[in-house]
Amino acid sequence: MNKNKNVIKLFDRMQNIDRRYIYIVVALSIIIPLLIPFNSRTYVTKPTEDIYKKIDSFAGDETKAILMSFTHDASTMPELFPMEVSVLRHCFERNIKVFTICWLPAAAPLVDYALNTAKEDFDVQSGVDYCNFGYKPYVLRLPIMLGMGDDISKAVETDSQGRKVENLEIMKNIKNYDDMNLVVDFAGSSSAITWITYARARFGANIAAGVTAVMVADNYPYLQTGQLMGIFRGLKGAAEYEKLVDVFAAYESEDYPNGRPFSKEIIKETRVPITGDTVPYKYKKARIGMNAQSIAHIMMIFFILLGNIGYFITRKKEL
Amino acid sequence: MFETISNFVAAFLTLSIFSFLYKDNPFYKFAEALLVGVSMGYAIPLVYENVFMPYVYTPIFLNHKFIIILPALLGMLYMFRFSKNLGWLSRYPIVFGMAIIGMSIPMSLHSSVLVQMRSAMLPIDNINTALIFIGTVTILLYFFFSKAHKGVYGKVTNVGIWFMMIGFGASFGYTVMARVSLLIGRIQFLLGDWLGLIK
Repeated sequence: MNKNKNVIKLFDRMQNIDRRYIYIVVALSIIIPLLIPFNSRTYVTKPTEDIYKKIDSFAGDETKAILMSFTHDASTMPELFPMEVSVLRHCFERNIKVFTICWLPAAAPLVDYALNTAKEDFDVQSGVDYCNFGYKPYVLRLPIMLGMGDDISKAVETDSQGRKVENLEIMKNIKNYDDMNLVVDFAGSSSAITWITYARARFGANIAAGVTAVMVADNYPYLQTGQLMGIFRGLKGAAEYEKLVDVFAAYESEDYPNGRPFSKEIIKETRVPITGDTVPYKYKKARIGMNAQSIAHIMMIFFILLGNIGYFITRKKEL
Repeated sequence: MFETISNFVAAFLTLSIFSFLYKDNPFYKFAEALLVGVSMGYAIPLVYENVFMPYVYTPIFLNHKFIIILPALLGMLYMFRFSKNLGWLSRYPIVFGMAIIGMSIPMSLHSSVLVQMRSAMLPIDNINTALIFIGTVTILLYFFFSKAHKGVYGKVTNVGIWFMMIGFGASFGYTVMARVSLLIGRIQFLLGDWLGLIK
């Protein structure tokens, strides 16, 4: 009887615990796995895999390119930035032409930051291997989207450095969505839907989305209907793509000097260690983050269970 | 050197914002006000350089395309929002904005309604399509308010509620994941970029 009273008392006290103690526990559950990283397994899901395969199918093809659209500011960087760096790394590793564009003033430095982070390890040239269209006002999104369906160099006349787009070497064999056949929109919103509405419905462009986890549910109906050919789902999606690039695009051997083709068997069997110096920190940031994410989730599930047990026990007492 | 100083500033501001978790304080208020001010200060010259110069100044004054004066004047009518008596003038540019929305209707209808409907009408040959079918029908019935949710009909709409609850749960789970990711990003910055403890 006394024991029961003590349990009820304990749960009573726990229900009134100062929330700042919970903040400390949350912080520790994130800080400890970041300081002591471990080699957790990253499972690659189909929506991420599909984007990888599509981008990789453009490898070495002078007549194909991808467009990365940045529709976010620094507040969503932890989830979106690792995705962007991974996609750029993939393109640079596999010699794929890549264009970047942004629609918010605050996104302009993020595009430069992503390009500078990824190109450090590659011998790539602006205007030849990649081209940054720079900041374009959001109000012009619609005419630019539609204009790109006819002629990219007319829809976007100058790049971020003020050069005429039509004179750039990268534009050779690239005219419209038939050539720039994949648009990946990175956003903390449903802005990929605008691409679907205008670039896909009218011109048949392939659209993929890199979104923060909070926006995934909104984008799912478009994935299910095939209007989105793939989706990066928050930090998890970024971690998956980091792994794919490590396992295939960045793979080097005598048989495959410039990366190897995608294979389901290889990805299932391969574990890429994230501890140690084999992979630079900037290319495994999302995977290290996912360690902390997993621990934080386990801790939250524990708190939810504890809170519910406490609720039912104290309610029983009141009855 | 520049990176070290910028990391210190960013770390100070991050910790100032985090200090709100303890309680409201002047450091938090300072960081919050600074964010708003810097965002605006940064955006104004960028918009001037990327919008006003290439789309207004250059075409009118350098290329002498005087027709651009008309849309520029129309856009300037937005300024009358601040006037009590002439505020109605700002409605004219809004009308043009609405026209663009009208243009998007046919294509939005295609991607957000027709294609979605087509995908909901697939043959029920596996558990996923069966679940989509039951979910779609029961939720649509739940939002049919001309009939009281009682008896068999009430039980069917209850199934719709369950589907919606599962959907909300999935959404909320993703929201928690997103918020934790943001915290991870900041702690990665503090421990990695600032203190150099993550390699």
